[in-house]
Amino acid sequence: MKTSRWSAALLHPITFFAAAIAVWEAAARAGVVDPILLPSASQVAQVLAQLLGQAGTWEAIGVTALETLGAFLIAVPAGMLIGWFLAENRYWGAVFKPLFYFLFSIPKSIFLPMFILAVGIGLEQKIAFGVFSTIFIVVMSISTAIESVSGRHRLVAECYGASRRQIALHVFLPSMLPAILETLRLAMVFNFTGIILAEMYVSRAGIGHLLERWGQNYMLPQLMAGVVIVSCAAIVFNESLRALENKFGHWRASR
Amino acid sequence: MIETARTTRAAGIEVRGVSMRYGNAEAGATLALKDVSLSIAPGSFFVLVGPSGCGKSSLLMMMTGLLQPTSGQILCGGQAMDKPYPDRAGVVFQEANLYPWLTAQKNVEFPLMLKGIPQEERSRRAIEALDLVGLAGFAQRHPHELSGGMKQRVSIARGLVQQPAVLLMDEPFAALDEQTRLTMGDELLRIWERTGQTIVFVTHSLTEAVYLADEIAVMSARPGQLMEIVAVDLPRPRSLEMMGTPEYAGLRNRIWQLIRNPAGPGHEH
Repeated sequence: MKTSRWSAALLHPITFFAAAIAVWEAAARAGVVDPILLPSASQVAQVLAQLLGQAGTWEAIGVTALETLGAFLIAVPAGMLIGWFLAENRYWGAVFKPLFYFLFSIPKSIFLPMFILAVGIGLEQKIAFGVFSTIFIVVMSISTAIESVSGRHRLVAECYGASRRQIALHVFLPSMLPAILETLRLAMVFNFTGIILAEMYVSRAGIGHLLERWGQNYMLPQLMAGVVIVSCAAIVFNESLRALENKFGHWRASR
Repeated sequence: MIETARTTRAAGIEVRGVSMRYGNAEAGATLALKDVSLSIAPGSFFVLVGPSGCGKSSLLMMMTGLLQPTSGQILCGGQAMDKPYPDRAGVVFQEANLYPWLTAQKNVEFPLMLKGIPQEERSRRAIEALDLVGLAGFAQRHPHELSGGMKQRVSIARGLVQQPAVLLMDEPFAALDEQTRLTMGDELLRIWERTGQTIVFVTHSLTEAVYLADEIAVMSARPGQLMEIVAVDLPRPRSLEMMGTPEYAGLRNRIWQLIRNPAGPGHEH
């Protein structure tokens, strides 16, 4: 029962994915689509293998990974601290939460030129823009998650003599854990988008920079191989966190 | 289980001139309780009834030590309840308030875990307590896999796991359907006969009050004042058939009259 559901959940997407690749390959070979605009799947795969064999590609991946990780490690703890502060302090929450909502609604990309003027076009600028793209979703998700911890759950712990530390550790943390994992996942989506965008806009290194150059030069097989690399990285991170969310949040679904 | 019964020591509760005022004087404070004094005998089943807003839940929360009275004092076993003393008083709320991320057993272990009791002893005592409430086979279930009545049993097990001298219960069966409510009342009496601690039980159901209690404190509406303590002299063990007897109906009716027509002017509602 369990295995058959597993295979259904895995097999169907894989089947459709394989079918789509097959159609793509067939269309490219039959000349239905312009080979300049859409190279065949096999050609993209070949180029991908070549690229992964080149030091330059790995260097670009390394730069992007460093920027992404750096921005993530700054934005997430900082956003969590601010979110916690706004949830715990009613006055500052009332003042700043609306401002965070306003800022969240603005597309961050319009600030990119200002970031370039202020911080330049190097690694720091990518990290700064990544942090800027990410921090608002973290602040808002975490303050909401803290506020949604049940007051009754806290009351029970207090009745049984729990200290502040114990309440934080044994009531707030487990209660918020699925929301925290969800926040990390969303944060990475915003973060990665911001970093790649900044790299594609102006830069000298990183996978976004390569994508932008390949696009400018009509190097479609390379461009699509680059898309595959970025997609794989994003999907692997997202799905790992989603698996953790399901593991720690099983009690949440049927409450 | 015999061990559980033997090691439990019941304690009496003294409520001395307790008043409770919410809010500050300028903003128009609400007097929730006015000069309540009562004495609860060790090992007795004591029920608090009264119209909503009479402060009976506030009084119970003060007995937990979590809420402090504006004036007056509450003693449990001769000692002031100036903060929560979990080994003196276990608490059961209207909602079971279990932690949904923990199994039934881990929920029962929770108070022991807070005290840093080793895992082995925790498990043993939690399983004992679950056995006592008739849930031995459900230790590894999560709350969402349990019915309302079962959740409340887990909550009672959590209240009893430290073998407290007093078990404080705030309308524990109010959220359950009528049939489950009656069964749970019977269950509670059965557990109480085995463990023997003092039980203080808040309810708005007079039927439930008379069925369970040794003594019933009847309170008036805001500001909550003690009107009368009614002794229930029905024999134990109680059975559902007693509900049809004239004695039962007489007691129930007397309390109802007290609540409906409180003595003195300015009390009608």
